This record gives sequence, structure tokens and C-alpha cells, in this order.
Amino acid sequence: MVRYLIALGVCLATVGLAACGGGGGSGGGGASEAKTLQPSDAKGASGSVTWCIGKDTSGAFKTAVEKFNKQNPNLEAKLLELPENADIQREQQIQRLRAESSECDLLGMDVIWTAEYAASGWLYDLTPVVEAHEKEFIPSTVETVEYEGNKWALPFNTNAGFLFYRTNEVPKPPSTWEEVYKEAKEKNGLVYQGERYEGLTVDFLELLYSAGGKVLSEDGETVEIDSPETRKALEFMANGIEEGAVPKAVTTYEEESSRRAFEAGNATFMRNWPYAYALGKESGIADEFAVAKFPGFGGNEGAGVVGGYNLGISAYTDNPDGSLAFAEFLVTPPVQKEMFLKATLPAVATAVYKDPEVKKEIPFTEELLKAVEQAQARPVSPVYTEISEAIFNNVFEVLNGRQSADAATSKMSSEIEDALKRF
Amino acid sequence: MSLEGTGRLRHVLLWVGVAAIVVFCLFPFYWLINTSLKTGADLSSANLLPPSPTLDNYTSIFEDTAFTMALRNSAIVAGSVTALSLLIGSFAGYALARLHLPFKFLILAVLLSISTFPPIAIAAPVFEIWTDIGLYNTYLGLILPSLAFGLPLTVYILASFFRDIPRELEEAALIDGATRFQAFRKIVIPLGAPGVVTAGLLVFIFAWNEFLFAITLTSTPDRRTVPAAIAFFTGSQQFEIPLGTISAASVVVTIPLIVLVLVFQRRIVAGLTAGAVKG
Amino acid sequence: MEGEAERLPLPRRGRRSVFRQERRLGAAMLAPALAVIALVAAYPICYAVWLSLNEYSVITPGLSRFVGLDNYREALGSSVFWGAMKTTVLFTAISVSLELVIGLAMALVMHQAFRGRALLRAVVLVPWAILTVVTAITWRTIFEPELGFVNTMLSALSLPGGNVVWLGEEGYALGVLIFADVWKTAPFMALLLLAGLQGIPGELYDAAKVDGANAWQRFRSVTLPLLVPAITVALIFRTLDALRIFDLPYVLTKGANGTETLSLIAQKELVTNRNTGLGSALAVLTFITVMGISFLYIRFIGGNIRTLTEEEE
Repeated sequence: MVRYLIALGVCLATVGLAACGGGGGSGGGGASEAKTLQPSDAKGASGSVTWCIGKDTSGAFKTAVEKFNKQNPNLEAKLLELPENADIQREQQIQRLRAESSECDLLGMDVIWTAEYAASGWLYDLTPVVEAHEKEFIPSTVETVEYEGNKWALPFNTNAGFLFYRTNEVPKPPSTWEEVYKEAKEKNGLVYQGERYEGLTVDFLELLYSAGGKVLSEDGETVEIDSPETRKALEFMANGIEEGAVPKAVTTYEEESSRRAFEAGNATFMRNWPYAYALGKESGIADEFAVAKFPGFGGNEGAGVVGGYNLGISAYTDNPDGSLAFAEFLVTPPVQKEMFLKATLPAVATAVYKDPEVKKEIPFTEELLKAVEQAQARPVSPVYTEISEAIFNNVFEVLNGRQSADAATSKMSSEIEDALKRF
Repeated sequence: MSLEGTGRLRHVLLWVGVAAIVVFCLFPFYWLINTSLKTGADLSSANLLPPSPTLDNYTSIFEDTAFTMALRNSAIVAGSVTALSLLIGSFAGYALARLHLPFKFLILAVLLSISTFPPIAIAAPVFEIWTDIGLYNTYLGLILPSLAFGLPLTVYILASFFRDIPRELEEAALIDGATRFQAFRKIVIPLGAPGVVTAGLLVFIFAWNEFLFAITLTSTPDRRTVPAAIAFFTGSQQFEIPLGTISAASVVVTIPLIVLVLVFQRRIVAGLTAGAVKG
Repeated sequence: MEGEAERLPLPRRGRRSVFRQERRLGAAMLAPALAVIALVAAYPICYAVWLSLNEYSVITPGLSRFVGLDNYREALGSSVFWGAMKTTVLFTAISVSLELVIGLAMALVMHQAFRGRALLRAVVLVPWAILTVVTAITWRTIFEPELGFVNTMLSALSLPGGNVVWLGEEGYALGVLIFADVWKTAPFMALLLLAGLQGIPGELYDAAKVDGANAWQRFRSVTLPLLVPAITVALIFRTLDALRIFDLPYVLTKGANGTETLSLIAQKELVTNRNTGLGSALAVLTFITVMGISFLYIRFIGGNIRTLTEEEE
């Protein structure tokens, strides 16, 4: 008995020690206290800049780094690659930011993390810089760097989904999702990303936005997802599976699995990102497929969701000026073109889409530009992760026939409200 | 122990059993090898044999310096964790098995419970502490957590083994004038060698497989171990999961373990026999 | 059981000084282990407990407020938590039982003398040796709908089930998870049980045979009772691991379709949602659950932890 009491005492003492040592932060930073950078700050910068971004799959990042270093003898850019998986990238970046580490100067952030990082005071305020470049960028990409009226990053690359279809089965792509589903039912089906993850949120929002629905109000304060549009989109997706237009297997598909199913000839239609185009051209169906822009839904125009990456400057960097210089280099049209052609990372610079060489290499350049222009951002909020969870968890249950559209809509709404309550 | 009774039925049953075990244990490993010899579109297929076998995946992982460095790092970290674990663990195991100490049950209970705490909850605190004291992205920084989580099992196994070594031998040495520690070194350890081998192998496999701390506490390829390095493998395009190279890497990484087991296996089972689980 | 030698009688005073000496040596020998564990594990664990008593701001990093047991209240009141608890306990119960049975069967086979026995032992450790994450990815590919090995084989052989989306259906998904886990760890059980088998003296079997017992009766009255200590150890370690399983469900299903375990929800809150307070509370609750169940084991099955540390006199 005595032994246990002693042990308990020791542990409580250690907890107390930990409390004194670790806890009780004073709370610095936050979006309101961030420092701002001016375009002129980049002049005369020197030193090293470490760029933390996901794996350099094509070598294009490395080439950009080398070019920059050659052009700027006073600066040395370095590439610190993070894993391919976006979730792990975010964890790795957040880990360093929470530790206030200066290891990462320039951050390659998925567009959906930008608000979170900005709200946490981890980024430099780049409003003057972005505004100086604003005319060069596709407007929807600039939307992704805005939070609470300021701009926190430079857009780096973008992405918008497409409808892929088999030309040997479908001569002309349908212009509405309703038609797509009807034809899919008669032919070989539609595949998309239906697993319980971010991809499902994207696919769902594409329908929701098309129907005219919203998740949050303009100011991000009110939850507006409890609406007839939401119910309509959910029922539509559920019926798709029930009636056989969409195979049940879709609920286990991510980008890759859906692409492989399409390439194996198991589907007539696929919703996926542009990257699947290049890979499709190397597969067995190379000459038998094409892309089309998103069909409409509910009587409205089709709507896409903006993907891609932004470049943010860490608040804990030792070299903000150098980071700015490097970031501005990365958004110049020549570098953007290189990224586009070599790594299939769609550019944010509009000029690139008018380049004849690009148009030749990538046949759907025009459609891509239109798709991105027409796309909308996902809800901008520091708690986007939890909002997305609320969405994909509930949509997933609807797709599996385990929840009604009504119940799902109410649950999504209340879960998102809970998320917004986090202080 | 020889076959009890002859009888063809028994013989046949035995070999059916062996075959079943082999297929059961090896099928996924076979699948890994199978996948590692495929590239491109073949990876999506379910063929039992690679339609056009190629060693491309193997050449590409060995050309990748990050992978070869990871192999080296894993060997260093897992090797050190095993050596330290056995050293420290044998001391502690002996103390618990033989010496008169207060609070023994409590200590053992605490040791065991430490290893049951979800590591995910302490990954962030460890990261912060390591960053503060400069152990981030170092070998020692990786060795310590694996050591801490591997020690309880090591101590438990070794303590059990030591306990079952007949006391007479040590008593005899003590009477002859040896100190406790000398008795430990010269008698208990050699006799407990099978236990040491068992514990060593289990800890090695555990440290070799460790993923969470590897990915949290390293930031550059020259310190990253294999499980974390595999998380960095990538296909040539966005979103692509490089099944081919991951499989090749896994095959390469499992083979040393198999060799180790083959070399030491007789010791393990003899060892496990002599001690712990007799009760 | 132990064959203890008689201790040589020592005069009282000598005995006490021997004890003191032993205690000092014991402390010195225990110190390194305790130091490593205290530094690396104990302190962060207590820190994690402290974290669970606070709520951390998502907007203002470093800002926190002490909320006492609120996180625990939230966790214990959430259906997601109890769902995960149910799933985890169910998974553990089925998985560990299967591993025990299959492991025992494997051990019995390996116990026989035949050529190639050594090789079989190495083969049996292969599942244990392959990186867990890779195992998970492999099983995921094998059970993939339409293109995966299982469905292709079933369809080719015209067997039912070729159309099942294994990881996409409740029930089946848990089944695959259990199967993959049993595959990985039955060998480990087999080795521990094999050791126990090899410790049973042959004479007991001979005596039973003389008494006219058949194979099954021999198994029940000689083998099983003497295996109890080995079974206990194996059960405890495996149960502790199964209750904390993370890698397999994460890669196979991300916790969907009835496979969400306690570790998965702890990770989700802690890392993904950056809800440090709630996540730490979930980790502590998982820890308490695991400790609780091991305590039950020790209580009811005995186990040799107590015997290990009984003061010998």
C-alpha cells in the first residue's frame, strides 16, 4: 500500500515539474501580430534559404534551385524535401513551426493549410508583395492566400479537377453530372475519390458548389452547409452508387486507385486531377481517352475546387529577405513554365497558358486555364482540417448507405460549428 | 523429441502442417518479391508471376543515396539499441532476479507500463526536448527512444532467464571469494546466453521496424532510418505510390533479419526452453 | 519447481551487511535502465498527462488554459470514443484468440523433429520481421477491389466473393484487419509457445501413455496445463500490443468501416487536428484501458510477474 502511495506521489511530482517546465505559454503571435514584408525587402538579400516542400518527383525543383543560385551569387537556396504524402508534409512543417525552428525558411504549403498557418502567426504578412504581382496570377489562386483581409503567401502552383472519359465509349462528353451518371449507368461506370479522406471533401464540394451551395459564410463565421443544395448533392451521390452508376469500390479509392481502375478499362468516366493525363498517355488506353471540363449540376455551370501549393515565409526564418527573393523567383513565368512542363504542376502565372510551346506539349492547356479560373477555394479557416473531417466523415457514411442525406447534413453542420468554437 | 509413433497418417499430417505454415507465412513475402520485379502498369495487376520481370526497382533504390544511407543508419541505430539494451537490460534483469531490493514488483510494473503508453502522445514532447538539448537529427536522439521502449521487454526476458539459472553455481563462486558482480559476469551471463540472444533478436527487430520516432526526430537523409526513408519514396508523378520500389526496399531490408534469425535460431529456442516460460 | 539450493546460514550481523551490499549493487545495476526510461519515457509521459489537463489554442500558439478534467469528460461522452473502444476490444479479443490457437498449432508442428526444422523456424519469423507499414500496404493491395489478388483469384475460380469490396464493407474490413494482424503475430506466439512445449519433460507423456491416454487426452492433461505460464506471457504481451494497434488500420482503411481503433482517434486529435489537450487525454485513456486489462490478466490468470519478484527466502 505504502509503495503505491509513494509511486503516485512521485508521478504527481513529475507532472508538476513538467507543468512548470513546459506549460503555461504566454501566447505570442497570431495573425494580428505578424510582420509584413515589402517587395523592396528582397533587394540586396544574402545568405541561405531552405525550401521545405514535398518530394521533388521530377527534378524540376532542383533545377529551379540551381538556376536561382547561379543568378544570385549572394544567395544560396537549398532544397529540404518532405515526404510525398501531404498529411506527413503538414505534420513535419507544423512540428518545426511549433518548435519555432529556423530550419525551414520558405514553406511549400498545400492551399488548405495557408489559413491555419496564418492564423497561428507562423507566416510573414506578404500583402504588399502579392498585390504587386497580383495581375500575373489567375485570380482564384490568389483567393487561396487570403485570410482576414491580408495575403499570406505567394501562389506557387494550382490544380483543378477534370472529367476524364473513354472516347471509344462516349463520343461527346456530357454537359451535366446528371447526364454523366445516366451514361455511366448504361456503360461502364464513373469512378472518383470516395475514401474517407480529403479527396472526398473535394469531390463533394465540386458538386455542392455547382449546385450553388456553400460551407461557410463569406466572413467564415457562420456555417451555411445546412441547405437544400447540400441535401441534393448528397442524395445525388448516394443514388449514383445505389443505382450502379458508380461502383461501390469507389469508397476505397484515392487518386491512384481510381486512376488505375480507369486505365484498366473498368470505368467509362473518371474524376481526377491533371496529373492522371500524363500517366494515362503512357498506359494501355493512351489513345482512347480525353478530358473535358466539369459538367454542370442542378442547372448551373460546373464548378471545380482549387488545389495546388502556396509559398509562405516562416515567421521564424533567419533570412526573410532571401526567402522573399527566392519565392519571387519561383513565380516568374519561365520557372512556372518549367514546373508545368516537367512536373505537371499547373502554373499560377497566366502568361504560361498563352505560351505556344506549352500549348503544344499539354493539349488541354486551355481547358485547364478555364477550369482553374472557374474553380473555387475550399473553406478558408484555421480549423479547415476539422471542417474537412466533418464533411468527409459524413459524406462517406451517406455513400455507404449508412446515413440519410438529411441526417448527414445536420451532423456536418453541427460538427463544423463545434470546430469553429475552438479558440 | 521424435515423432511419437510412426504411422503414415501422422507423417502426412505433419507435412501438410508444415506446408500450410510455409504458405501462410511466406505468401505475402512472396507477393512483395513478386511486386518488386514489376514496373509500370504491371503493378496494378494481380499476376502471381511478374509478366516481364525486371530488376529496375532494385537498381533504382540502390542508386538512391538516401536509401543506402538509410540502410547504414538503420544498422547503426538498431545495432546500438540492441547492444545497449542487452547491456543495461542484463544489469537490471540480474538485479531484479537475484538481489534483495525493495519495491521490486513496483519497479517491474512501472517498467512494463512505460512500454504500454501510446508513443504518439509523447512524440511531440520528445521532439521539443530533443530540439532544446541538441539531440534532434542525431543518432543518439534516435537510439534513446527505441532503447527506452525496448528495455522493459528485454529486462523482463532476461530477468526470467537469470532467475532460472540454478543458484548453486553462483553460491559456489561466492564462497570461493568472488563478488556478486563477478559471479554475474562469469557465470550468469554465459549461462543465460540463450536468453540474451532471444532478447537481442526481439529488440533488434523492434528497433529496425521503429517508424514513429524515426520520422519525428530526423530531418535529413543522412540520419533517417529505413522505415522513415520508405515514407519518402515517390513515384515519378504526383500522388503515385511507388509500389515497385517500396517492395524492393522491403525485400532488401527483410533479408538481413532472416539471415540473423537463421544464424541464431537454434540459440533462441534452446534459450527460450531453458528459462522464462517454464514458470 | 525451482530447485533452490539451501542458503548457507550466516550470522545475523553478516546477513544484514550482505543485504546492504546487495541493495547497493542492485541500485547501481538498476540505475542505468531506470535513468534511460525516466529521461526518455517517464518525463515525456508525465508531460503528456499535464497536456491532457489543458486546452490549447489553434489560433494563438502557446496560449493555453487549464481545463482540468474537461478533455476527459469530452472524450468519455463522445460516441466516437466508445465506438473506438468497442472496436479495439473486439479486435483484440478475436485477434489474440486466433493468434493463440494458430500459434499453438504452429508450435505443435514445429515441435516435431524433422529435417528442415531450423529453416521452418526462420520462415516463421518472416511475418514478424517485415516492416509493419509495408505489410499493411501489401495486404491493402492484395485485397483491393477488382484489381487485387484475392478478388481476381476468386473470380477466376468462380468462387463467391469475387465482387466483395473487402475494405469497403463493415465487418469485412474488420475481418481483413484481424487477418492481417493474426498473420503478422501468430508466429511470435508460436515461438513463445514452442519454448514452453520444449520445456515439458518427455517422461510425463510416457507416463500418460502407460496410463492409456490417447493423443487428445495427453494434450489436455499434460500439455495444456504445463503450457499455462507460456500462454500467459504470450497473452499479456500480445494483448498489450493489440489494444494499441495503429499502423495496420491506418494504412488499410484509415479507420473507416468499423476499424477505428483507440490509437487512431488519439492520433487524429493529437496530430491532425492539433487538439493537443483532447489527444493527450485520449492517449491517457488508452493507457489506462491497457493497464486495466493487463491488471485483470495478472489477477485472474496469475502470470509469473509476481513470482518473478517474490523475495526468495
